[in-house]
Order: sequence, then C-alpha cells, then structure tokens
Amino acid sequence: MEESTIALENKNKPVKNSVRAHDRRIAILFILPAVILFLVMAIYPFIYMIYTSFTNLNLSMSGTGQFIGLSNYFEIFHDPLALGSIWFSAMVLLIAVPIEMVIGIMFGLLIRGIKGERVFRLLFLISMMIPGIVFGISAQMIFNYLFGSANYFLSLFGISEIAWFGHAATAQFVILFLDVIQWTPFIFLITYAGLLSVPQDLIDAAKVDGASRWQLFANVEFPTLKSFIYIALIIRLIDALKIFGKIYMTTWGGPGMATSSWSFYIYKVGVSYGWDIGYASALALILLIASAVLVNLLIKVLNLGETLELRKEG
Amino acid sequence: MNKRMVSRILKIVRYAVIILILCVFLFPVYWITITAFKPMSEWNTWPPHFWPFHPTLANFAVKGILPFLRNSLVVSSAVAFISAAISLMAAYAISRYKIGGTGLAGWFISMRMLPPITIAIPLYVIYVKIHLLNTWLGLILVYLIPTVAFGIWVMISFLNEIPKELDEAAYVDGATRLQTFRHVIFPLSLSGVAAVVVLSFVQTWSAFLLATVLTSDSAAQTLPVYLGRFVTGYNIEWGPLAAAGLITMLPPIAIGLIFQRYLIRGLTFGAVKG
Repeated sequence: MEESTIALENKNKPVKNSVRAHDRRIAILFILPAVILFLVMAIYPFIYMIYTSFTNLNLSMSGTGQFIGLSNYFEIFHDPLALGSIWFSAMVLLIAVPIEMVIGIMFGLLIRGIKGERVFRLLFLISMMIPGIVFGISAQMIFNYLFGSANYFLSLFGISEIAWFGHAATAQFVILFLDVIQWTPFIFLITYAGLLSVPQDLIDAAKVDGASRWQLFANVEFPTLKSFIYIALIIRLIDALKIFGKIYMTTWGGPGMATSSWSFYIYKVGVSYGWDIGYASALALILLIASAVLVNLLIKVLNLGETLELRKEG
Repeated sequence: MNKRMVSRILKIVRYAVIILILCVFLFPVYWITITAFKPMSEWNTWPPHFWPFHPTLANFAVKGILPFLRNSLVVSSAVAFISAAISLMAAYAISRYKIGGTGLAGWFISMRMLPPITIAIPLYVIYVKIHLLNTWLGLILVYLIPTVAFGIWVMISFLNEIPKELDEAAYVDGATRLQTFRHVIFPLSLSGVAAVVVLSFVQTWSAFLLATVLTSDSAAQTLPVYLGRFVTGYNIEWGPLAAAGLITMLPPIAIGLIFQRYLIRGLTFGAVKG
C-alpha cells in the first residue's frame, strides 16, 4: 500500500497531480465492491468467530453465550476426538499429498512428447473437475462389501473380501485413495504447464550432448520445474486441510473417528449434532491460523510483484 | 538384443503404464456413468457388471430432483454473473492503477484459500439471526467469496495482456477513464469475462460444505446437498443416485476441460500461464 503511493507521488509532476488524484478515486471506486464483499462476508464473520470462541455459545441451549475465557482452547488438548481429527488431516497431508506429487509429476514426464499426448492429458484431467461429493457416491459402490468391484478385483487374486468401511485402516485407505484420485491431476496440470515452459533448444542441446533421460530431467527440466512444483505443493497442502465432502459421503468420519478430518470434526461439533458454537469456533480458528501460515508461504513463493506486474514499471 | 528392440520395449512399457494409470484414475467416473444406465436388476450383482447389459434411461427420471436442480441453476448463475462483474472491476483497478500493491493482492489470495468450514461456523450463527438461513441470497453471498477471489486472478492476467497504449490513446482522444473502461477495456476483456462466468458457475455448482451447512430443505438446497442426503438410509437406489451424480458432474467436466487455460491461471494466481 505505502510503497505504491510513494511511487505514485515521486513520479508525478505537480501539473499532473489532479489527474492522478482523479485516477486514484476511480481505482478505489472500482475495487470497492470486492473489498466490501470480503469485509462483510469474511472478515466480519471471523471477528465474530474470535469472540464466540471465548464463549460457551450453544445454539441448542438457551441462556448460553457467556464469556468463558480460554476454556474452549484448553478443551482441545483434552479432547481425543479433536486430536484424532487433526491427526487424520495430518495423514492426508503427509501420505496422500506426497503420492499425488510423485504420480502427478511422473505422468507429465511419461506423456511428454509421445503420440496421443493431448488425449492422455485431457483424460487425466477429468477427475479433478468432478465434485468431491460425486466421488463419494462412486466409492460407496466400488468399495461396497457385498457387490463392490474393489472386492471383485481382490477375489481374482484369491484375496477374500474386505469390509472397507468397517476397519480404521481400510477406511482411511479409501479416503486417502479418493484424495489421490481427485487431486493428482491438479499437480499434473501445474507441473505439466511447467514442463511445457522448458525451452526446447535446451532440451535439444542436452540430447545432442548425449544426456540420458535422467540427466535431462535432473539438469534441464527440474530447474525450471522447481518453482512450479513448489507452488503446486503449497496450494495442495492448503486445500488438503479442507477435505470434507468425500468423508461426509462415505465414512461419516468412521469407523469410530478414524476418518474424521479437522474440517469434518468442526462440522460435527458446530452443526451436525452439537451446535456447540463456542468450541467449534475455537477449533475453526486454529484451522484458520494453520491455513493462514501456509497461505503466507504461498504468497511469498508466488512473488506477486512480478507475476502480476503489480509494481509500477520504470 | 539390439538397441532398437530395447527402445521399442521401453515404448510399450511407457504406454502400458500410462494406460494403467488412466484406468485407475478414471474408474470412479466410469462406474458412476455405467451405473446411471443400469436397470435395477444390475445394481447389485456378483460378479459386478462392468457394462450395463440392459441399458435404460429410467434412472434419469430422478424423483424430486427438480427443485434442487433449479436451486443449483439459480445460485450458480447469479454467483457467476455477479462475481464476473465485481472481479472485472477489481482487476481493472489492480492491473491499471496498481492499487493496494502486493498487500491487497495477498489479501485476495487468502480469501480464495480459506477453509470453508471456518466461515461456515460464524455465518451459520449470523444467518440464524438475520434470517438468511436456507435462502438463495444467503448462498449467493457466501459463494461470491471464493469466486470473486478466483475471478480477480483470471481477469488480471487478461487485462495485463491488453496493451496499455490503447488506454492512453483513448485518453489522449479525450475519453474519460470511465469511458475508456466501457468502450476500450470492457469489449476487449469479454473472453476473460466469459471465462470467469463459467468457471465461477462450476465452482459454485460443485461446492458442497457451505451449502450443506447453510440450507435445510428443497427451498435452497443445491444438487450436491441433495446427493448427500440420498446416501443416508439402507436401501440406496444406486441407479437414480448415479444418474443424479452424472447430471451433477457433467457441467464441471465439460467446462473445466474447455477452459483449462484459464483454470490454471486462476488456480495458481497468475503464476502459471498455461
């Protein structure tokens, strides 16, 4: 903010000042609807949520809403369900996201430059366009105990049927599997765009010099790809914290609380059966802070001044 | 074995791996699609039918889907057009006047990345108080947050591609800034506006969490929420459910594939041009 005003003032000749002031008014007028929207629909609710996180507000009980200090925050540490949910969200981040990264990048390298590249690319992108909730329906059928095709495939290898949603480990596997299916194409989309931006003459030069496929990747492609990979990774980490619809549709957080994610637990506490807004607010605020940390990292990596040509040139 | 044979075998392996990956990744979509055309006798069979042997269209007459389809259409369309207007204006201010600098741009990014549950909790309480629960308006307002934030990035990259000399020329010819915007910038940015409209439409169309928290019945519930209610209960009607799923996922797939390029820009905040 300050930076740009200073830049403006330094550049202006006194004669042009009134024009610049007029421009500025127009710019403010144009940006206003967006700013008001975010202030009213996001910032105000967040401030309200900070307030409710210090109260015992419960929509199913009258007379609640008193100030109770930090109790809600202390409760989190004594609530195994909350800690378990945070742990499952961490599992998505630590297991599903790395798998998505590897397959996503690999798929780009696999199809690069071969016959049918465009078709493969199109087909691979389909699953990232599908609403998570529809994946849930599909998973319900595929992982059905009696009639599911997952158990059918296993039976071909002589493995007896598995009650996928009945055990913690297999239910977690299903959710992570769905996450991988849905979001690997996103990693592919970004890193493949990076791959396309590697200058062709560099690739040709390396080939002339007799570089192996691995050397080509490590020395020519990877250096360009690095920033793309980093951006894709951070965006994916932020989004992985939101995992909700697939859980809602398949396991409902079960068995027990094995597949309850952070977002899903907040939903259960605040909306689905608890209406315990105070506690849900505290949980949500911590989630918000966790994502804010990642978003800040993302903003640094994106180098906005350059990518959006935000700084005044000259 | 000579070198040519080796490279041929490698090529075959490469194609085999690609096809295997595609089969796994497309299987859920495939399964929804074929189930939508299966008659009741084929929903639950052992071994499962990997093809609808007696295809039917009966599943598409899903009972009571119309109000939800209507809600989805109304809410998504309203969000699409309003967010295109707001984001075009904001992007114009950022692209041409550099207003707010990187600070404001960063703030807009954070609006896009918010976990929806963190906004759902306080809004639920606020909506109860101001009677916006279970209304179209309530949903439209909240879905403007991610779509406007997303739209601004798509629009900025569009506007940055329109040469600034055009603005200057119009200005020299005596046009005011507002006239320049209306007669020069707006016509040239129409393809960007179209991209923001359709991408905002499908984002809202697919969104689930906020809609499920902030609505309670067919007066405002959208298709994904309807699908969510379908699965509860014991005798799930897989055919109609899959048909409803197919109806829900077709627009996002079609539009997403057509507008890939802009999708990349919006998703990466202009960092990747695609």
